[in-house]
Amino acid sequence: MTDTAAPISQPKAPAGWLGRLEGSAWWIVLGLAGLLLPLLEDSYIGVIAQRAYIYWVLSAGLNLVVGYAGQIAIGWVSMLTLGAYTTAALAAGRVGPEWHPFLALAAGGVMGAVAGVVVGLPALRLRTFYFAMTTLGFSTIVTQVALAWKDVTGGGVGTPGPVFPWPFDPGWGFYYFCFFLAALATWMTANIGASRYGRALVAIRDAEVAAEASGVSKARLLILVFMLAGALGGVAGGLFASLQSYITPDAFTFEMSVLFFIAILIGGRGSILGPALATIILTALPEFAAPLVQWSTFLYATLLLVIVLVIPGGIADLLDFRNRRPLEKHREIVTRPELLARVLDRHSEKNTLSMTGIELHFGGVRAIDGLDLEVRSGEVHGLIGPNGSGKTTALNVLSGYYKPHAGEARLNGAVLPFLEAHTRADRRIARTFQTPRIVGGASVLDNVMIGGTIFGQATFSETLLSLPRHRRDEAHLREAALLALATVGLEQLAAVRADRLQHSELRFMEIARALMLRPAFLMLDEPAAGLSAEEIRRLGALIVAISRSGTGVLLIEHHADLIFDICDRVTVLNLGKKLAAGTPAEIRSHREVVSAYLGA
Amino acid sequence: MPISGREPLLQVSGLSAGYGKIGVLNGIDLTVGKGEIVALLGPNGAGKSTLLKAVSGLLPRTGKVTFAGRDMSTTSPRDAVNAGLVHVVEGHRVFTQLTVHENVMLAGYGMARRELAGRVEEALAFFPEIAEKRNDRAVTLSGGQQQMLAVTQGLVRHPKLLMLDEPSAGLSPVLVDRVLAAAARLRDAGTAVLLVEQLIEKALNLADRVYALARGTIVLEATTDEPDLPNRLEHAYFGQDVSAPLA
Amino acid sequence: MFQSIVSYGLAVGAVYALIGITYNVMYSASRVFSFTAGMLGMLGGVLGALFIHKWGMNAVLGFVLVLGCGALMGLVTEILTVRPVLKSIEQHLYVLSTLAFALMIQQVTAIEWGTEAQPFPVLIPIETGTVSAWLDQKFLLPLLACAVTIAGLEYLYRRTLIGRAFLAIAEDSYAARALGLPETRLRLASYAIAGIIGTLAGFTGAQMLLAYFGNQAILSFYGFVPVALGGMGSNRGAVIGGLALGLFQQAANFLVGGIFAAVAVFAVFIVVLLIRPEGLAGAATARRV
Repeated sequence: MTDTAAPISQPKAPAGWLGRLEGSAWWIVLGLAGLLLPLLEDSYIGVIAQRAYIYWVLSAGLNLVVGYAGQIAIGWVSMLTLGAYTTAALAAGRVGPEWHPFLALAAGGVMGAVAGVVVGLPALRLRTFYFAMTTLGFSTIVTQVALAWKDVTGGGVGTPGPVFPWPFDPGWGFYYFCFFLAALATWMTANIGASRYGRALVAIRDAEVAAEASGVSKARLLILVFMLAGALGGVAGGLFASLQSYITPDAFTFEMSVLFFIAILIGGRGSILGPALATIILTALPEFAAPLVQWSTFLYATLLLVIVLVIPGGIADLLDFRNRRPLEKHREIVTRPELLARVLDRHSEKNTLSMTGIELHFGGVRAIDGLDLEVRSGEVHGLIGPNGSGKTTALNVLSGYYKPHAGEARLNGAVLPFLEAHTRADRRIARTFQTPRIVGGASVLDNVMIGGTIFGQATFSETLLSLPRHRRDEAHLREAALLALATVGLEQLAAVRADRLQHSELRFMEIARALMLRPAFLMLDEPAAGLSAEEIRRLGALIVAISRSGTGVLLIEHHADLIFDICDRVTVLNLGKKLAAGTPAEIRSHREVVSAYLGA
Repeated sequence: MPISGREPLLQVSGLSAGYGKIGVLNGIDLTVGKGEIVALLGPNGAGKSTLLKAVSGLLPRTGKVTFAGRDMSTTSPRDAVNAGLVHVVEGHRVFTQLTVHENVMLAGYGMARRELAGRVEEALAFFPEIAEKRNDRAVTLSGGQQQMLAVTQGLVRHPKLLMLDEPSAGLSPVLVDRVLAAAARLRDAGTAVLLVEQLIEKALNLADRVYALARGTIVLEATTDEPDLPNRLEHAYFGQDVSAPLA
Repeated sequence: MFQSIVSYGLAVGAVYALIGITYNVMYSASRVFSFTAGMLGMLGGVLGALFIHKWGMNAVLGFVLVLGCGALMGLVTEILTVRPVLKSIEQHLYVLSTLAFALMIQQVTAIEWGTEAQPFPVLIPIETGTVSAWLDQKFLLPLLACAVTIAGLEYLYRRTLIGRAFLAIAEDSYAARALGLPETRLRLASYAIAGIIGTLAGFTGAQMLLAYFGNQAILSFYGFVPVALGGMGSNRGAVIGGLALGLFQQAANFLVGGIFAAVAVFAVFIVVLLIRPEGLAGAATARRV
């Protein structure tokens, strides 16, 4: 990146100094209320508050799984059960010698982390329902084991919970212990939520293929998050056992899972404050409405149904006033290709990206039937053909989503593995999608920052604790994303929720996200679809500028005029086969092409 | 503007449709007369398939659709089928786990048993190649055979109007002629056909009238006996009379 | 001991298989896995005990009424929890809506019926078990129900046009709609059938499992394991998987204890999901980007 200081108008910070205070005001109020609560000298309220803190320790982790990653973990109460019994059994000396309560609590956390990963494994490759069922099944199993394994759990009779020593002894000492852990859980999960990890989680939820194309390894990331959420659940369990002072399997009802879950849904996906407030309210509510206690699970379930059917975005969406402000009506996308020198690395070396002999069929239908294709640095390579001729399929093979039945793809002679889409980003191969794959609920800036995920250096634990390397990562990504947005002409919209953009703007946003990779190769799937004539002209100029700075571009497009205008070479597909290849001039006069593509 | 001399069967006016936020069609006006073949042409992505889906009710739409004197602006695909407006969707989407015969039977779901059996045989007779494989599961058919099967399904109900979406896609030239010949036979039997086709030459040979669609609007309407049609079509495709000229 | 492992194992396995088929029937019509399958099984037992034991209804009448309630529950499930979220099926909201509905019914049951397991009446007034322990009706009824159900479904899917319409909608609901198939009505019918099968499972299995609200969670999970083993949508797979699960569980219970049985079932479930997510008998489907 050079330092030629072309002015880039910074977007008005969505949360300036005042805005940040506005955002943290609730936290300050909550924190003060928590610290000062013991002044009430009301131990009943104290117990309710402790229970709310304990629930939140679990829900804070679960929030990353459910609210951020969108994984439907409905049986997370099992982590609470597991942590509670581990802590209680170890502290009481039911397994070997008596452990110190703090060590036992830590062991509960470790058990939770292990269980979190085991339960999460199906989520790594399977559809949502399987994961939901696994968590549900696990909670059923854990309860059955707790009932049957009498030596350790006391069976139906139960076992005493651990008692923590001074200064965290039962009463207000333990209260502050729970309060502190809840605050810690909040801080850590908020750090993750606001980092590239958090953005990648949301991207997995809303735009999985785009996340993979940006180099996000879904499996690795989810395992880390399941581990964290399991550990927090286990610790919460240990605390819960201590608060209950005596635990039986009945104490861990499935309705608690529902409470955790709807607290997150009500609070809003991708928020932390919302679920925290909802957890507190839902924990306290039945206590103050005694007649409701019996019906509380029914009411929670009804609430869940109503939320899902009426406001799937949660109440946070309803209260999102900032994104109600009308956007300017007649917006114009003014691209600034001159900024590309700062966005892209100068690739002076000659790279080639190629496919040879690719064959792929779906059932009896041949999608690609022996295709060779080569894209070189600094060139725009057009790929055209009628509907169903295999253009997008070819791109999906090249970017690693499909495994062809024959043939191979190479980058500078080195074989590219198939079915590992997330490895393309490391090789600086970026792409966009025919239907823009975006995180609608996140800001345009956040969406673009996802594209730079692979440049982050901080580890998950560094991010968890907000260490300096994490903060540097964030600053760099933000700066690069603003630059990329300025290049495609969207910097004014950086703070706007992406789902409020027009379709044409989303196409440019996807290009900005792809540019974040500083790609050696950029593959564009119908970038001009839905654009006005003027926008197409600017898009064309931008694509040419990208290629001239050394990036190889593969362009799938239906707009024949754009193709013939800007491409250096064109390949024409028909029925999964190469029909012709050559310069635009050669293609235009190719008789077969004219009949297959132009139809005449 | 050429006006079809025949009694109108399908009348579409001010039709708009799209996918979610993406508007594809903008105020389409179109007419198909009884027993005529109308070709709907246009470059990829122009909205041809979207138009057929909007007419049959597979996509939500705004605007007015009248078919056989009935207002069909808000009806379901099932109502359309029952009224005699049958849509063979693109991409030979047959049911691969069922046999050929079962696939064709389903096209007449709800008809009386005996009548259905006759109709199925009659439809299968159009494509002997398919009829031969009546007891094979559709997954064993090639792409072209699946396409013929899809067209066969469209024939079972003796539609007043058959909408064919790219029936030639994936077919060898010989089979293309066979499928299009079936359309001609239908016309002779009084059925109107609205045909989306990429092979312009073949479409123009077959059709009575033609519409060209580009960027979601009708840019050309003509009868196929008008002179210089291929050239005018190419102009309409590349939008020379609509937006910036080619470099 | 061998006799009780086999007879009890097969009988419980038949109940699991029927719940698995309930999942499948709903899935086939809508691509939705509905958590109401376990609820239907629970209701079959509770309503049966209520009608026949508490209210003293004739057993046949009670049986028919229970199945009627099951069909009704199926219809309500479709209208209330599935249809509204089908448009955005990729968001998987159905997981939550069906779970919420199942929990609501479970809670009403817990409050109105009680949280204690209650006995289920002996249906056939002759003491069949006296002839041979193998022929005890509480073991025979679930197996019989399973056989009748699978035969009925095979007939429906293989021999009738309406059955093929179900299969067509399961494979490609868009193309089915374009052909003019009454998609909504067929889906409703599927859910009603699923309701009948689910309550049938609970009703015939209740002499073993009792009329207990807690059966819902157990049947939800153990009824899904056969689906995971046999491949989603495959009813034969569910029967084989269900019977195998029942036998395995009983054998493990007797030989090495309940803890191991529970953990082992869960471990097998996870391992099968990870290694062969399409089920032991299913075929892999290609991913679409």
